[in-house]
Amino acid sequence: MTPPVNNQHVLGALRQWFDPEKQPTVGRTPDYRFSLANERTFLAWIRTGLALIAGGLACAQFLPPLPVEHLREVIAIALLLLGGVVALRAVDHWARTERAMRLGQELPGSKFPAILALAVAAGAVLLIVAVLIKAAE
Amino acid sequence: MIDPGASAERTRLAWRRTGLSAAAVGLLAARPAIHPDAGARAWLIAALAMAAWVAMVALGYHRSRGLRARPPRPARRAIPVYAALAVALAALGGLVVML
Repeated sequence: MTPPVNNQHVLGALRQWFDPEKQPTVGRTPDYRFSLANERTFLAWIRTGLALIAGGLACAQFLPPLPVEHLREVIAIALLLLGGVVALRAVDHWARTERAMRLGQELPGSKFPAILALAVAAGAVLLIVAVLIKAAE
Repeated sequence: MIDPGASAERTRLAWRRTGLSAAAVGLLAARPAIHPDAGARAWLIAALAMAAWVAMVALGYHRSRGLRARPPRPARRAIPVYAALAVALAALGGLVVML
């Protein structure tokens, strides 16, 4: 019973990504400065994603082989995945914010920055532990 | 025409620096092809990465022209397409790592 609803929800979200003004035709066009601020936030997230992708590629190409087999590749793929997720989340958040502004609603909140911060911090802690173990050997 | 807060100009510059970030990613993805005995696969990946980068810069340029209009035109489709290109670069990066 739930799948059709879910499908519709997913399709609606996708349509909203491509045209938040028309999906559905709601509200009034906000002051363009607000839309441009939303666009700049999107671009800042895209740069964050691109930086993660660049980090993944740099890991794969510039790190020497690590003591654990394939660890280098695992780190690189994790960073690439994170970068891709950040980019997708950026469009979704942009579209939802655009819609909320048209409807004069409260802007959507998000736990994503906190989750990303925790993931990056966890990665840093793991690397510190790895470096310490290497130094102790 | 006045642009209070210079928001159109700041947005234009944001597109430009995002294009520069994409250049760094594209070059890193293309780097294996520079190796003397790089195979056809490395060249193909490099070509695709450069194509994605060119598309991103072209989109940024197109958007900059929309931002020069008064009032600035809304962004619309450029945004999801740009994000899709970033995801494509991530996927190409995955190929670089795996091959």
